[in-house]
Amino acid sequence: MARNSHEKRTERQLLLVLLPSLILLLAFVIYPALYSVYLSFTNEALTGAAALRPRFVGIRNYVRLFNDAKFWNSLFVTFVFVMGSAVIGQFVLGLISAMALRRPIRFRQFFSSIILLPNAAPEVVAGFMWISMLAGGEHATLSRIVAFFGIDPADWLNAFPLSMIIIVNTWRGIATAMILLTAGLSTIPSEIYEAARMDGATPSQMFRRITLPLMMPTILLYMLISAVSTIAVFGLVYALTRGGPGGATEVVSIYIYNQSFTAFQLGYGAAVAVVALIISLILGIGYVRAMKVEV
Amino acid sequence: MAVISPSEGANKTRSDLIAYATLSIISIFCAVPFFWVLLASFDGNAQLFLRWPEQWTLANYARVFTKEDGAKWLFNSLFVVGGATLIVMVLAGLGGYALSRTRAWWKLPFLYAILLIRVLPPTALVVPLYKFLLTLNNAEGALLRPIFGSYARDIMRWTGFIDGYLGIMLVLATMQLPLGLWIMKTFFDGLPRDYEEAAVMDGATMMQRIRRVLIPLAMPGLAAAGLFAFMSAWGDFLLPLIFLSSPELQTLPLGLFRAFLRINEIDYGLLTALAFIYLLPAVVAFGFARRFLVQTFSGGVKG
Repeated sequence: MARNSHEKRTERQLLLVLLPSLILLLAFVIYPALYSVYLSFTNEALTGAAALRPRFVGIRNYVRLFNDAKFWNSLFVTFVFVMGSAVIGQFVLGLISAMALRRPIRFRQFFSSIILLPNAAPEVVAGFMWISMLAGGEHATLSRIVAFFGIDPADWLNAFPLSMIIIVNTWRGIATAMILLTAGLSTIPSEIYEAARMDGATPSQMFRRITLPLMMPTILLYMLISAVSTIAVFGLVYALTRGGPGGATEVVSIYIYNQSFTAFQLGYGAAVAVVALIISLILGIGYVRAMKVEV
Repeated sequence: MAVISPSEGANKTRSDLIAYATLSIISIFCAVPFFWVLLASFDGNAQLFLRWPEQWTLANYARVFTKEDGAKWLFNSLFVVGGATLIVMVLAGLGGYALSRTRAWWKLPFLYAILLIRVLPPTALVVPLYKFLLTLNNAEGALLRPIFGSYARDIMRWTGFIDGYLGIMLVLATMQLPLGLWIMKTFFDGLPRDYEEAAVMDGATMMQRIRRVLIPLAMPGLAAAGLFAFMSAWGDFLLPLIFLSSPELQTLPLGLFRAFLRINEIDYGLLTALAFIYLLPAVVAFGFARRFLVQTFSGGVKG
């Protein structure tokens, strides 16, 4: 009985030290998330009549959203951006790096340090570096590199905006993919490869029959993490193109920002935000369930 | 296998060569963009494109601190991000401990809930967050003005929620808190309870246990949580963009961004020097964090 009451007191104390974190998360994350749902049903604005007396407008924002070509465009651009940079670019280059670094070659530390470097660059700095790389004219770095292969210089960021931000975001995230996939690769026992080699399996057979199937849980987890974090990318795209030219790189986070702080339509921006929240939550639930499998 | 057949040896060399070649190409892809910032910042006549400086100079760096507000931006960034990091370390330390030692029914649901919080895109939260902080800010102003009169504005610069150090610190800290809590929870899970139980036997209070026993033991975990909080908050651009507007509170990413938006001639020497100064702490922190990275991206979020 005495022990029981002691345990209860300890529990209460533990709850008490968790409280400050709980308050911050409730106030600055949960409440804003719920508040954005409420905002999305109003005509709240930063300036004008609606700023003084916001009204409840029901699902009007969502109806408008449904018929808004720019909104569908931003969803499409986000989809291509996530697929191109996270699901394909970072994954393929990260997997190649992880597999190559598994071999006992020299300069491993050196190579992995260089590959980690882009991940350390703050978004804005990464953006400026690539503005220089992709600038128009024959002097720019990329133009000089492709001239080596006989390709004409171009104003890369304006000519191929979406492809370029995909390349830049791929560059930035190779390290994340490499680290996660290295961890996944290290769980595959080398005896399996030995046995397969004895049976005369070719490297490509071993990759398809052993590496890929055994890596599937890790790959799935990586896909979920990278998709969620790529949807949230803002600063990198903002520094590079600010969504332009003509909405070609207007990912959802840029569209929310533009609607809310450039067009001042907080209610409508909130409706877009709610859609982004729902998509992230759906992917997030998948991520949490994948984690539970590992627990 | 003791004896390697000749053909297998040749195979091994060939695949090593392929590994070297692919790693070299990926490394070049990763490294080249950095060269412009590095070289142009020492170039007396820096351009938007990569080139070897004709005249090497430190003048760009000098200008960041003399003609521009570089020193102020650097201070603001270090102060705000440092403060946020400290908040994360303290709160994640306490909360992580609670999450590790409690057996309450809400523990697992709570842990997965904060994992979900981590996936919410900050862009989707900033508008309501801005409105909420504005309300808090107005309330604070209304409270302080009658008491402190004209000094209230100076006090608000430090304790305000919008355009004040406190607000941006708390917001940055909150965004990093879920990961911090997970790191610390996992870390405390790995610490044996013997020390604490011995302290309990000696009649130590909870606070004494934390201060004398747990904090010294928790240092490596706190360092990891702090490093990750610092790296993310240091690189963040969106939150300072929304919550800080007065010039004297600008942080490095904002100063950098505004330097690039100048309508007249852009001063690339100045811009790259600023970028390099901003880049350096991030790279150093990343170097330290390397050994924690694997656990955090994969294992760190294991219950």
